[in-house]
Amino acid sequence: MTTLIVNGMEHPLDLADPRVTLLDALRDRLGLTGTKKGCDQGACGACTVIADGRRILSCLTLAAQCDGREITTIEGLESHPMQDAFMRHDAFQCGYCTSGQIMSAVALLGEDRAGSDDDIREFMSGNLCRCGAYSNIVAAVREVARHA
Amino acid sequence: MTTIQQQPRILGPGINRVDGPLKVTGQARYANDFSLPGMAYAAVVRSTIASGRITRIDTTAAEKSAGVMRVITHENADHLAAAPATFIKNPQAPLQDDVIRYHGQYIGVVVADTQQNATAAARLVEVEYELHEALLDPHDPRAERIKDPWGEDTAWGDVRTALKRAPVMIDQTYTTSENTNNPLGLFTTLAAWDGDTLTLHDSNQWPNMVQMVVATMFGVPEDAVRVLTPFVGGGFGAGLRCWSHIPLAVMAARHVGRPVKLELTRPEMFTGLGHRTASFNWIKLGATRDGRLTAIEHESLTTLSMEGDEYEPCSSVSCSAYASPNVTTRDQQVKLNIPWTNFMRAPGDSQGNFALESAIDELAWEVGLDPLEIRLLNYAEVDPKTGRPWSSNALRQCLEIGAQRFGWSRRNPEIRSMREGHELIGYGVAGVSFFWYQQPCSAKVIFRADGSAYVRSAVTDIGTGTYTIMAQLAARLLGLDVEQVEMQLGDSEMPAGAAAGGSGLTAAVGSAVHDACGRLVQKFVDLAATDPFSPLADVGIENVEVSEGRLYRKGDPTRGESLARILAVHGLDELAADGSSTPNSPDELGMTPAGARGARFVEVRVDEDLGRVRLARIVTVNDGGRILNEKLARSQILGGTVGGIGMALFEDTVTDMDTGRIANATFGDYLVPVNADMPDVHIEFVGEPDAFNPIGVKGVGEIGLVGVAAAVANAIFHATGKRIRSLPITMDMLMD
Repeated sequence: MTTLIVNGMEHPLDLADPRVTLLDALRDRLGLTGTKKGCDQGACGACTVIADGRRILSCLTLAAQCDGREITTIEGLESHPMQDAFMRHDAFQCGYCTSGQIMSAVALLGEDRAGSDDDIREFMSGNLCRCGAYSNIVAAVREVARHA
Repeated sequence: MTTIQQQPRILGPGINRVDGPLKVTGQARYANDFSLPGMAYAAVVRSTIASGRITRIDTTAAEKSAGVMRVITHENADHLAAAPATFIKNPQAPLQDDVIRYHGQYIGVVVADTQQNATAAARLVEVEYELHEALLDPHDPRAERIKDPWGEDTAWGDVRTALKRAPVMIDQTYTTSENTNNPLGLFTTLAAWDGDTLTLHDSNQWPNMVQMVVATMFGVPEDAVRVLTPFVGGGFGAGLRCWSHIPLAVMAARHVGRPVKLELTRPEMFTGLGHRTASFNWIKLGATRDGRLTAIEHESLTTLSMEGDEYEPCSSVSCSAYASPNVTTRDQQVKLNIPWTNFMRAPGDSQGNFALESAIDELAWEVGLDPLEIRLLNYAEVDPKTGRPWSSNALRQCLEIGAQRFGWSRRNPEIRSMREGHELIGYGVAGVSFFWYQQPCSAKVIFRADGSAYVRSAVTDIGTGTYTIMAQLAARLLGLDVEQVEMQLGDSEMPAGAAAGGSGLTAAVGSAVHDACGRLVQKFVDLAATDPFSPLADVGIENVEVSEGRLYRKGDPTRGESLARILAVHGLDELAADGSSTPNSPDELGMTPAGARGARFVEVRVDEDLGRVRLARIVTVNDGGRILNEKLARSQILGGTVGGIGMALFEDTVTDMDTGRIANATFGDYLVPVNADMPDVHIEFVGEPDAFNPIGVKGVGEIGLVGVAAAVANAIFHATGKRIRSLPITMDMLMD
């Protein structure tokens, strides 16, 4: 039995199938579909969650590796200012990459990597946005970083 | 009544997206977010050759694999009816024969209890082929060519003579590579049969299209098929057809007697949803020594899959962009053993504009004119083809205001004349005359006694903002706060909706909503007329206004009633009206629908030693007619700009010429712009409400992309003196 601690809740999971990724466990086993699958190859960032304070790609992480780790998903954010900033700056269009963008941006604040627009652009570049909201994402992150 | 015509060109700075709260909390549900009790998972098997026949397909190992319920191949697939076309053909049903027409074609589907089991078993299907030589090269003389595929080849004047006599001529070839839409959302179909009725949670841009095609293929009435698409993770044209994974999921659900979810993988998104054609553009320009165009000849060749159908008239941009007395445009398609080519944000225009705007730039250099000046000199004041006035056209303003904002006057006209450190600096410009497209559409508007209102239409919001702007539009027309109005969409049972494509949805559904709101106000006026005590008893619709939920006499807000009170007086819970829109006829209106117009100004920095191109800034000025929500419209232009940067510098779907396999079908290998690639982007709207549809919009979903590639290429020429005539422009092309 593996225990995932997701958004502060313990979820014992029978992971007889070791191929189950953290992403699939979140979406298919726990019903937490806010975390998105965009490539399943670690290249787009849509599946970004925070594990023990660090952003990770849940599609490249096996669920079985996460026993006892503290996972935060988009559903675990409680009215974070980043969410509000994303709305005001129209930092998304279709919304599919948004959970990953926001989780990445929230982690970025803790990494002390949001000091300049160049830094924000660089360290948000693991999160693809095919609708092309990039400039607005930078504006949202910049605003929250300055007020943090 | 309150009409949209009385409203300003830009309806305020724009409100936040009404679906924003769902999207920033992960609560917006896309097709792959839905699950049903007893649901099984599907994984597809794809061909590993590009042309030939399946001689043996062995599913024994797959069937024995853990959790597998069913393996379907052409040997045990249901026979499905022919797929009907819309304005374009849809792929025929999969698994109907043993013929392979492209690498990556679906040849089987495995259904299992978990995604992991389905995916693992799909790899166990053994296939033997009879391999035929694949046609992969667009210039292969054996490949079938289709001339004038859309009957749109155009000729006026006498191009041949004009070119012969032209003192200055440009004669060049411009090519663009294949690109793949790659919306971030993995296209998914969750199919659930209940007896003879079928429900689909599906990723698409046109639910009624999927409904119609699936119903026909499976021989059930259309009203037995319900397609639900409340959210879709982008499309950029990928969702305008009923791709083969949809009937595959439906068939699989019928075979196993339970709901089946089929989620494409990223590599499958490259072969299963079409992609932007490669294009070859042969352009000849004739001009006087002072830069006035005397002839334009534009021929194009685009790629087509063996059984495909695609509308990609690259040369048509040359019919509307500039005033030339002699013009010829011709398009051809070539059939290859490649996956389907398909619409991708600004089909035809994106490639054709790159060619034409590069050629115009070459002409400017040839005659020694400023590239901005030559565009203004040859400005098309009227439709050059018909001589008719445009329905609206602010291209001149786009160019002039863009030049001001950009600081074009600071440009040193010499090539390689501007630099900073080891970087050469270049300025480039391109103009855009976009096409016009609109489908029929219908909508229903409902006002309830509690003051809430609902707008319904079976359209989609692919990120463009339809949820928001239609709520805003109805609120404006019914005199309500936008918070009172909810736009409902993405359900094929709603009034028939237009496709979210061709930059035409806002005009189509907006005009339908406009019509429905007018009819609803008329119904309120008619109701009030039957109430002798109503202050509106004897007033016609032309003499009423509506605001803050009240209907009142024009010029006398005190004499009126609230909509809610009119319902109450007549004992009604709600009042509803249906509306519809069909595109106007250019002949009847005696004008040419202009489509959106735009200008791009780009500053590039090119590392002289490494050939690395960095975009420093882009000014993009567009005429989109009336802008319903400036914030969201700006996002459309921004997104288009990013798409244009991708086309210019990164995106290239590479086919292995030995096997026909797409060699870079992952996000690790197929490069798209990331945040670090972004320049400073300045976006501005100019122009007037367009005369062609009642709400005056032109659609801004695609135009932002068009012209970026040409402006980048033109800027690179200014910086380096190197004229790059093929996309994407990569470092190797710029290294000495």
